[in-house]
Amino acid sequence: MTPTRFKERIRTSIANEALQIALDNNAQRRVNGRIAAFASLPDWKERRQRAHAVRADVISHLDEYLNQFIAKVSGNGIIVHRAKDAAEAVKTVLEIVNRVGADGHPPLPKLIAKSKSMVSEEIELNHFLGAAGHRVAETDLGEYIVQLRGEKPAHIITPAVHLRRHQVGQLFHEKLGIPYTEDIPTLTNTARKVLREVFLTADVGISGVNFGVAETGTLCIVTNEGNGRMVTTMPPIHIALMGMERIVPTLDDLALMLSLLPRSATGQKITVYTQLIHSPRRADELDGARERHLVIVDNGRSRLQHSALQEALYCIRCGACLNACPVFRELGGHAYVGDDDSIAPYPGPIGSIVSPGLLGLEQFGHLAQASSLCGACKDACPVDIDLPKLLTRVRAGNPSSKKQNERHDGIGLSFMSRIGLHAYGVIASSPRLFRLSQKLAGIGTRIVSPFSQWLWIPSFTGWGYSKDFPRFATKTFRERFHREDTKGAEIFSKKKEERIEEEPSKVQSANGVGRFTEELTALGGNVYRVSKAELNDKLIEFLKSRNIDAALMWDQVEGVDEVRLTEAGVRAVRSVDPTLKAGITGAVSAIAETGTLVIPSGKGQPLSASLLSETHIAVVKSSQVVLSLEEALLRNEVRDASAVALVTGPSRTADIEMTLTIGVHGPKELHVFVVDG
Amino acid sequence: MAFLPKQSLPEYRRLLCFARNDIKLLEYNKAMRTVQLFITCLVDSFFPEVGEAMVDVLRRAGADVDFPRDQTCCGQPTFNAGLRAEARQIAEHTIRVFESVKGEVVIPSGSCAHMIRHNYEELFADDPTWLSRAKALAARTYEFTEYLVDVLGITDFGARWDGTLTYHPTCHLHRGLGIDRQPRELLANVRGAEIRELPEAEDCCGFGGIFSVEHPELSAEMLKRKIKNLEATQSPTLVVCDAGCLMHIQGGLHRNKMKQKVVHIAEILAAKQS
Repeated sequence: MTPTRFKERIRTSIANEALQIALDNNAQRRVNGRIAAFASLPDWKERRQRAHAVRADVISHLDEYLNQFIAKVSGNGIIVHRAKDAAEAVKTVLEIVNRVGADGHPPLPKLIAKSKSMVSEEIELNHFLGAAGHRVAETDLGEYIVQLRGEKPAHIITPAVHLRRHQVGQLFHEKLGIPYTEDIPTLTNTARKVLREVFLTADVGISGVNFGVAETGTLCIVTNEGNGRMVTTMPPIHIALMGMERIVPTLDDLALMLSLLPRSATGQKITVYTQLIHSPRRADELDGARERHLVIVDNGRSRLQHSALQEALYCIRCGACLNACPVFRELGGHAYVGDDDSIAPYPGPIGSIVSPGLLGLEQFGHLAQASSLCGACKDACPVDIDLPKLLTRVRAGNPSSKKQNERHDGIGLSFMSRIGLHAYGVIASSPRLFRLSQKLAGIGTRIVSPFSQWLWIPSFTGWGYSKDFPRFATKTFRERFHREDTKGAEIFSKKKEERIEEEPSKVQSANGVGRFTEELTALGGNVYRVSKAELNDKLIEFLKSRNIDAALMWDQVEGVDEVRLTEAGVRAVRSVDPTLKAGITGAVSAIAETGTLVIPSGKGQPLSASLLSETHIAVVKSSQVVLSLEEALLRNEVRDASAVALVTGPSRTADIEMTLTIGVHGPKELHVFVVDG
Repeated sequence: MAFLPKQSLPEYRRLLCFARNDIKLLEYNKAMRTVQLFITCLVDSFFPEVGEAMVDVLRRAGADVDFPRDQTCCGQPTFNAGLRAEARQIAEHTIRVFESVKGEVVIPSGSCAHMIRHNYEELFADDPTWLSRAKALAARTYEFTEYLVDVLGITDFGARWDGTLTYHPTCHLHRGLGIDRQPRELLANVRGAEIRELPEAEDCCGFGGIFSVEHPELSAEMLKRKIKNLEATQSPTLVVCDAGCLMHIQGGLHRNKMKQKVVHIAEILAAKQS
């Protein structure tokens, strides 16, 4: 049975005009964005199949990969915890949090800065942290908004997808005491100010993990706003929560996934920040969490892995299936409720499989009936999960699960549908009964509706809610068909041979620097091409024009002469100071195809130089430009660093009405000097 | 006139003239193909004229068309609802019926073809004997337009339809079976017809079998959008390759007292004049 609560939610969602507008906009923008983004990846079909194979391999050898991954992560100095269920995961996190500053500091309350993590939603971490007396601040703008409203995220990627700007304006007015405004940059800036305080004073940072790389023990976290970097860099303790299926074998596989995930999620080639974390802050480093914990959460995943729903674990949580789904477009994430009216942590097509799969068919199984099995989700899935097939498996009670002897197929069906379909099963397996039923229905509907071929039927039938029903034919096809010998076949044109060709890949700019400039500029970054000789002059000129007299700077930025900067009145600062207007860094490489800087941490290379200030200035040599992410990840500097930031443009968000706003938590401006020679 | 097929004499003349005029015309090889119709429960019970049109088109293409009398349904309604035991019972019946006859099985419905080609494999996954029987049937099963274009190699049936046609790619046909080019090619060759694209064409109409009954509100919203998009084309005729979607959209149009008609592509291909 579909729970009445779910039915109610469906009705209220459809009747909620603001929600409908927000969801329509989301569907259109996101679907188009995804399609446009994939146009820049000519071999995406092949990549999609490869990604499917990678995920299939990982899930079928999950234990081995996990062991390899855990050994690497621990070897790198990150403390690994495994939690078999939600309660254990919560307990682990609470223990770490409670221990912080136990020597001397009052134990409560701890301030926790949290970036987006769907696993944390799944285990209801915020609730338990709050109950234990701690203060949790969600720092993703969308999450922050829903947290202020006391809601759950309505979408796994864009949590505030259900809201319109006036609602956010009203919320900020009420909760943060700012004058009412609908101006999205003002709202964003307000959140920046409030949350900046949180980042700088938090005792603990909690993040999710998008991918764990088995060969290197890398934790990969992708964000656009920079909050993921903040919570893993500024607080002394970092706790990363990871679903146990989030493994990829190699950095190469990671590059493959990163070419698909942002494109599918937000229509970006790459997110603004892709962070790779290997270890806690090293003794000679200025920033980064001193202690890092990784909590690997099972919570039903092992069970799912050994069930007919295994393929659902391939999911990389991009949310593309939500955006493509015509049902999600009507409902939004809050309508997907269990039989106790609790909101499913994962909504939409994948959520209707994963939520019952992880948390119980009894509670969430009925969600799988809320699909026309149209397959738009499968089409949109970057790892080619056969979602319609899995939905039918949920409906059939996850047939190969352990509880095979329990007959609970047809999950979520109403009593009438079940009776009707059972009867149909009998009728349609017997030609005689089938013919008899046709005959009776033909006569019956003819009596009911002698003149019209279409019958009005009442709303309670379901069908009659919005459409008329066809009259059964009094003379069925089988009664009309007569076998005839084929008479002279007519004359027809032969089909023309036709080859469907893939669109030729766009001729890529041969010049790597040119491509890099093009890509980064398109994302709001600024690129200046200078010769070795003129670098310092141009840099000083730039700093002067911005009235920047001090900057957090790497110990050494190749080609930059610190003496000359000092002479020009620009002080190079070597400590983490959030009041500084600018940060100056180098980079190990620059990726042409996405416009990305690869910036590792290290001695004299603080992470906050590219994160805390409003202006980030980077200097990179033209010879450091590489074509692809794959190439960039091959570098030893990337593998050996305690953390690496892949930076693609200034910090951005689109969490309010999908309106792009530059500068949330990270820098508002990015200026790159590309030095020739 | 007994030696002539159903077409009238002027019709023949028109076809011959047309034949002489088109350099691309070749005579279809007359190798006799036996086609076993799987007409589907919906066409059989609700839209027999679609079946007749299909037979007409196939016969004109030189096929020897037969109809196994014991056929009922592919089992999709029960499968989609999650009632696998019932679905299996019906599917086994269907496999038995078509095992007893030779030739290719042709279906005027994308979703039923998808059921046999893809879901039977799922349904019989744990039963090797039935699985191989199901696969054997799947291997000789074709959707109607796929059969015409890919197997018979014919894209022009000399059909004539004076008016605007709008094509709705139904979900299981288009996404499930990857068939889209075939019906579009067939329609492009219909004389007199102007093809007008449907906005958001690939969106589901909200049928989904049991879904339209279990979740009428959701189904209604999806249907509303489909009808709105059809209205935007100002086309009087929507063409589909699936009786389920036909029944759903037409049912919605009729409820709203709208004049547009939903027709199966076989009816267009069989048409000689509007």
